[in-house]
Amino acid sequence: MIKSRIVLSIFLTFLVLFLTVVLLKTDISYGQIEAITYTIADTTGDWGYPSPYTHYCRGPGYVRMSFIFDTLVWKARSGFIPLLAKKWHYEKEENAYIFSLREGVSWHDGEKFTAKDVVFTFSYIKKRPTWMVDSSIVEEAVEINPYTVKIYLRKPYAPFLNNIACTLPILPQHIWQEVENPRGFQKDEALIGTGPYRLCDYNRVQGTYLYQAYPNYYLGKPEVERIKFIKVSEQIAPTALRRGEINASSVPPETVKDLKKEGFQTLTSSGSWNAKLMINHTKEPLSSKKFRQALAFAINREEIVKITQRGYATVGSTGLIPPSQEYWYNPNIEQYSYSPAKVKIILESLGYHKKKGYYWKNGKKLTLELLTSSQFVRVAELISQQLEKVGIAVSMRSLDSKSLDVRVGSWKFDLAVSGHGALSGDPFILNKVILGEGFISARYNKNELLNKLLINQLHQMDREKRKETIYKIQKIYAQELPALTLYYPTWYWAHDGSLNLYYTRGGIAFGIPIPLNKLCFLGWRRAP
Amino acid sequence: MKRKVINYAVAFFILLVLNFILPRLMPGDPLSAIYGEEVLVQMTPELKARLIERFALNKALWEQFASYILSLAKGDLGYSYYQNAPVSKVIFSHLPWTLLLMGLATVFSSVVGIILGIESGWRRGKLTDKTALTGMMVLSGFPSFFLGIVLLLFFAVALGFLPLQGAKTAYGKLTGGWFILDIFKHLVLPLTALTLAEIPANYLLTRNTMIINVREPFILTARAKGLSDSKIRYRHAGRNSLLPVVTRIGIKLGIIVTGALFVEIIFSYPGVGNLIYTSLLMRDYPVLQGSLIMVTVFVLLINLGVDLIYKKLDPRT
Amino acid sequence: MHIRYWEKLEKDPFGKTGLILVIFFAVLAAVAPFATQNPTAQTPLIFKPPSITHPLGTNDVGQDIWSRLVWGARTSFLVGLGVGVLSTLLATLLGASAALIGGWYEEVVIRTVDALLVIPTVILVILIAAFITPSIWLLIVVISLFRWQGGARIIRAQTLSLRKSMHISAAKSFGASTSYILFRHIIPDLGPILVVSFIYSCRMAIFMEAGLAFIGISDPSVISWGKMMHHALNFYYLDVWKWWLLPTGMALSAFILSFTLLSYCLEEAMDPRLGEGNA
Repeated sequence: MIKSRIVLSIFLTFLVLFLTVVLLKTDISYGQIEAITYTIADTTGDWGYPSPYTHYCRGPGYVRMSFIFDTLVWKARSGFIPLLAKKWHYEKEENAYIFSLREGVSWHDGEKFTAKDVVFTFSYIKKRPTWMVDSSIVEEAVEINPYTVKIYLRKPYAPFLNNIACTLPILPQHIWQEVENPRGFQKDEALIGTGPYRLCDYNRVQGTYLYQAYPNYYLGKPEVERIKFIKVSEQIAPTALRRGEINASSVPPETVKDLKKEGFQTLTSSGSWNAKLMINHTKEPLSSKKFRQALAFAINREEIVKITQRGYATVGSTGLIPPSQEYWYNPNIEQYSYSPAKVKIILESLGYHKKKGYYWKNGKKLTLELLTSSQFVRVAELISQQLEKVGIAVSMRSLDSKSLDVRVGSWKFDLAVSGHGALSGDPFILNKVILGEGFISARYNKNELLNKLLINQLHQMDREKRKETIYKIQKIYAQELPALTLYYPTWYWAHDGSLNLYYTRGGIAFGIPIPLNKLCFLGWRRAP
Repeated sequence: MKRKVINYAVAFFILLVLNFILPRLMPGDPLSAIYGEEVLVQMTPELKARLIERFALNKALWEQFASYILSLAKGDLGYSYYQNAPVSKVIFSHLPWTLLLMGLATVFSSVVGIILGIESGWRRGKLTDKTALTGMMVLSGFPSFFLGIVLLLFFAVALGFLPLQGAKTAYGKLTGGWFILDIFKHLVLPLTALTLAEIPANYLLTRNTMIINVREPFILTARAKGLSDSKIRYRHAGRNSLLPVVTRIGIKLGIIVTGALFVEIIFSYPGVGNLIYTSLLMRDYPVLQGSLIMVTVFVLLINLGVDLIYKKLDPRT
Repeated sequence: MHIRYWEKLEKDPFGKTGLILVIFFAVLAAVAPFATQNPTAQTPLIFKPPSITHPLGTNDVGQDIWSRLVWGARTSFLVGLGVGVLSTLLATLLGASAALIGGWYEEVVIRTVDALLVIPTVILVILIAAFITPSIWLLIVVISLFRWQGGARIIRAQTLSLRKSMHISAAKSFGASTSYILFRHIIPDLGPILVVSFIYSCRMAIFMEAGLAFIGISDPSVISWGKMMHHALNFYYLDVWKWWLLPTGMALSAFILSFTLLSYCLEEAMDPRLGEGNA
């Protein structure tokens, strides 16, 4: 009968196709490339075309660019190490850094690298700043001889090495001197650098990158010949690791234990990013320092870590700097451990009295508006829960992050949950998020001493003295509390051990907490 | 026919007006609404000035609208600051995957739905029909995204051999037949989810039309002529049952597009649906608006095409 | 036409099942405040499997899943009924009046209906929601605004044919006004169509609300099955999907199914050509 034939044939077709797929799954191997290839998975995938002007202004974007472009100085397991610069020292009287450059370095197109390129880069970025480098402190760069550069600063600037020398990718003069619009420059020539790798392929839609080793790299030809970045979500990454489809990836915290048991190496990082409660200290009652301290006593940050982060975070320090920053962290500051009793004492001293479970003053119930974006909804909900329990009414509103930023920026809020990174690098970040202008900053300048200390620390070239200043800053900040650091999330990476990945001390460049230091890729299965 | 074209034009126009008005309803200036404060902070003054020029934000409202329509006519859908690329380029790079997914799903779900519907309608009331009907009913309750989730769970947790993400293996260096097979392997799960979600509607419609047709006099005539069962089913009753389904495809397209949106998100399939989702998350308004316009244009064009086919199929017109 | 709804529903197995399911969910939604613990309370009991105190275990912030499921039923019900009522209202008013008044008014309505019918509703809602975070009421209104067209078409067609029927002409000859005819004659006669249209709109709205919540568009202060599934999906690689993701999806499917069954049963009842045994 025709009808049964038709139905049967359809079913058979599907069956055949299905079986083909099953039978042939073993034949479609992932990458029948003879070369040593290292595959890294990334949830987002696309971080922009990896030139210094077109990568997305985020850590992963910078990292992808860093494989191609070298900086003067770099970081690895500890301290600053030479990269394009062999050695350097600081001339205190002239307020200048002198860099002795490596000889015999060639650009990917064969041209020689000299001091000209460094001088050119510094002057080029004055009008056209690259992402992530603020070079306004640089007066000018001068060539002393073809392999020595002297960089004059306007003022003594402690973060220079970390934020500029270690972050600024050096551009080839012979290519970029013609380029008027760097952000539109996406030709192959835009990716000529001195780094260990060249870009083979970049696919925006698929979110993939393919790098090829540069054989004439001055530190030796990288043993990993190809690096692949592919787009795989974090949830699937453990499966991909087990199947051998990838070598490394960030993984969800719950999967770490099993992965370890199965023989994978895991890396942990905490303290580079923080979730923060922004406080509008320009309006009542939050303008009172004591009130903000009461808030700190009322919010149980341990509970926030235990519940919303399921334990995979470190409790925030009220001085902003995380405990993992062993050198700068001040352990002797007031941490405001959860205490509803102390909340009561402070609020009552401010004129509030408890009625029907809530605090009232002058006939008005104490109510605060808490803003959050979808990223921190759980955290905000728990904070509301905690404050309500203590007796402070909360009206919570969830907005998209753009609207949230606008409202925080224009002071149209009471409390808001947001976050930022760059905490594992140089403590210049304190200035950015205490005195700075943007909406991630507390924009707090009411304490004269704090202001002075913050400005001083930037110019304090003596490390020990700077540490003292930073300690004092944390202590005062913890008393003023213009914003409250809630927690530092802990991040996990897992890899199969074929490379010795590690978290760069102080983060990559200015402080990017990603364990993909290009130096790792020079040596395959050996310690760097 | 002309009336339909006018309808579609009106629909498109309404969408454009909506697209135009919404950013201007937001608090703050439209440039912030379109690009967001965070991005604006990083923009150089020159770029800002250029964008204001392009959007004609310094002119009167109707002039802005005119320039908006004009640039659309030129195919300029705007510029995505996040992706550092023209919106049209971004959308067109995602489009082929969605077309592949939707096209195959429409074809498969129509074929299977129609055939099962014809068979069921013919045997109305008997066990086969009752079983099929019940099964289809139950299936119709499952939203497309839940079907996708169930498939994902089943193949992620239970079986392990199908890829759970993406459209192809990155840098797999596969060519020719292997490449097609690889794409197909990645298509299986999203396609199955989408197809299963669409079959019940086609099935029910065909079955109903079939039931009605079976009573028609011309079937009696065909029977009297001594034609075999299957011939009557497919050549006569079936073909007439085809008409409503074809007409419905136009309207159903909206549902299939919605289904594709969800399925793409679940399987991270790099189509326009996924693009809409990610640009929604990032509030990348130019890409979001551009994608929505693209999708609507697409739906309208298909509807137009269906209307033309309908004229050919229906012997009465 | 006059249908005995209850008779039809009782006889037909699909109708019966549909009705039972709807009543089940209605009861569930109604007893929400009594049968559940605080659905939003975050506790340190994270990812706990089902137990006596937590019949469906807990989610990633220690909330009781069963309670959230039940409260989610409320949301689905609210949106479903809200959109059903509002869109049917709009469809009736605009569709019937278009048929009765005619002229350019009818033209405008038809054009609007046909134009809006083609644009996928989800697309429009996403566009609007991208700019304005929706409260649940705004969501209901917006969805209704793009859902009434389907019903309006049918209602207009039916009204047109009714207009010519005997008793309407009689009423007209007695000097009845348009609104009198509309409310006293047409709408009661439209009964069955309105019911079916209502049920269909409910179903679409429930699906739409869950789907939108799934991609992140929902009222943040409200518990929604779609949002629950979205959160649960993030942890599908853990065991927790068994009591978090799956039950929620099944509940949603069952709820949608109940309306599908009801509408199918009533549609069949309405169309005599689909009836049993008439040749």
